[in-house]
Amino acid sequence: MRAVLISAMLLVAIPGSLAAHHSFAVFFDETQTVAIEGEVTAFRFTNPHATIALDVVGSDGNIEKWRVETTAPVVLRRRGWSRTSLHAGDLVKIDGWPSRDGKPYLRLRSATTMDGTPIGQAFTIGDD
Amino acid sequence: MRNALFVMAFIASPVAAQDHPDLSGFWAPDFGPVERPQDLMDKLPDGVGMVEDTGVAEFPRGEFGELVLTPEAAAHAENWHAENDMTIARVCLPPSIVYASQGPFPWEVHQTEDLIVFKYEYFDQTRLIFMDGREHPGEDYPHTKMGFSTGHWDGDELVVDTTHIAASTITNNGLDHTDDIVMQERYRLVDDGTRLVSTQWFSDPAVIENDGARFISWSKREGEHIYPYECDPSFALEYQSVGSE
Repeated sequence: MRAVLISAMLLVAIPGSLAAHHSFAVFFDETQTVAIEGEVTAFRFTNPHATIALDVVGSDGNIEKWRVETTAPVVLRRRGWSRTSLHAGDLVKIDGWPSRDGKPYLRLRSATTMDGTPIGQAFTIGDD
Repeated sequence: MRNALFVMAFIASPVAAQDHPDLSGFWAPDFGPVERPQDLMDKLPDGVGMVEDTGVAEFPRGEFGELVLTPEAAAHAENWHAENDMTIARVCLPPSIVYASQGPFPWEVHQTEDLIVFKYEYFDQTRLIFMDGREHPGEDYPHTKMGFSTGHWDGDELVVDTTHIAASTITNNGLDHTDDIVMQERYRLVDDGTRLVSTQWFSDPAVIENDGARFISWSKREGEHIYPYECDPSFALEYQSVGSE
């Protein structure tokens, strides 16, 4: 009975989720990269992560809705990015680490304009 | 006589302040391998499990370095689902200082004789290190993500003891500490004050059977300051919309 009580107390003592900054290693596959190009439909530049929404023409000719997550904008600002780095309608090339769940979701490694001009600096695995 | 002593103490305090290293400044994390002062590492308790996830490194699911999880903590980590945190209500919950201090974000130190302030860019968190000799409060004192910290100088090292840390993550992959965790850090300037290194030791027997430790290193950048973080929970909506448009 005592052992049961102690086990129950320990289960109570370990709470649910208590911090929510999501982990690169948990969400993204660092062993692969994916390259996409498309038209920016929205650019959101707030912490914890900026996001780029873009329309990508798939191999079947249909539009695929992709989201690209970046490092935190506080870090982006030190690497040449700003809230005006991208605008809806811009055409961009992006490569990054794919989401482990197979969704059309990437973690940004680098971004360029269609002529190859870098947008900010590239990133390494796990930059937050 | 009492007035004379007071005056002497007042005059003496600036001199005493100069006896201690000045850690003030803007500190940016070092991302590459750096040399670890062996005598600093040797001050960690015997048998600690090193957690090598500092800087940009992060552990995937199921990896916890040299930490030995209790069966209950291991079960909790096994059943943890990262996606559950990607909600408006949860995505901006800050981690505690146990995890936050090792991340790839800069921080500032503002130092006086009796109080040292650590101001972190990560989640806009601020930490007070009381250097005036006060005791840690009792059990009823509120627990917070930054905890309650006192510090003292051990030679040229700042030693910080922290209690009252609200339950949060240790490795950001399902291993969470309890309210009972205690932590001790040692900070030391190296390379003529251009770098700051520290060890972080923590103990929480409810979730880890051995004590844990990290080594962390930062470089000084003159003239820089931390930016406001101001976490925006609408990021969770962006994540939730993926694949549903």
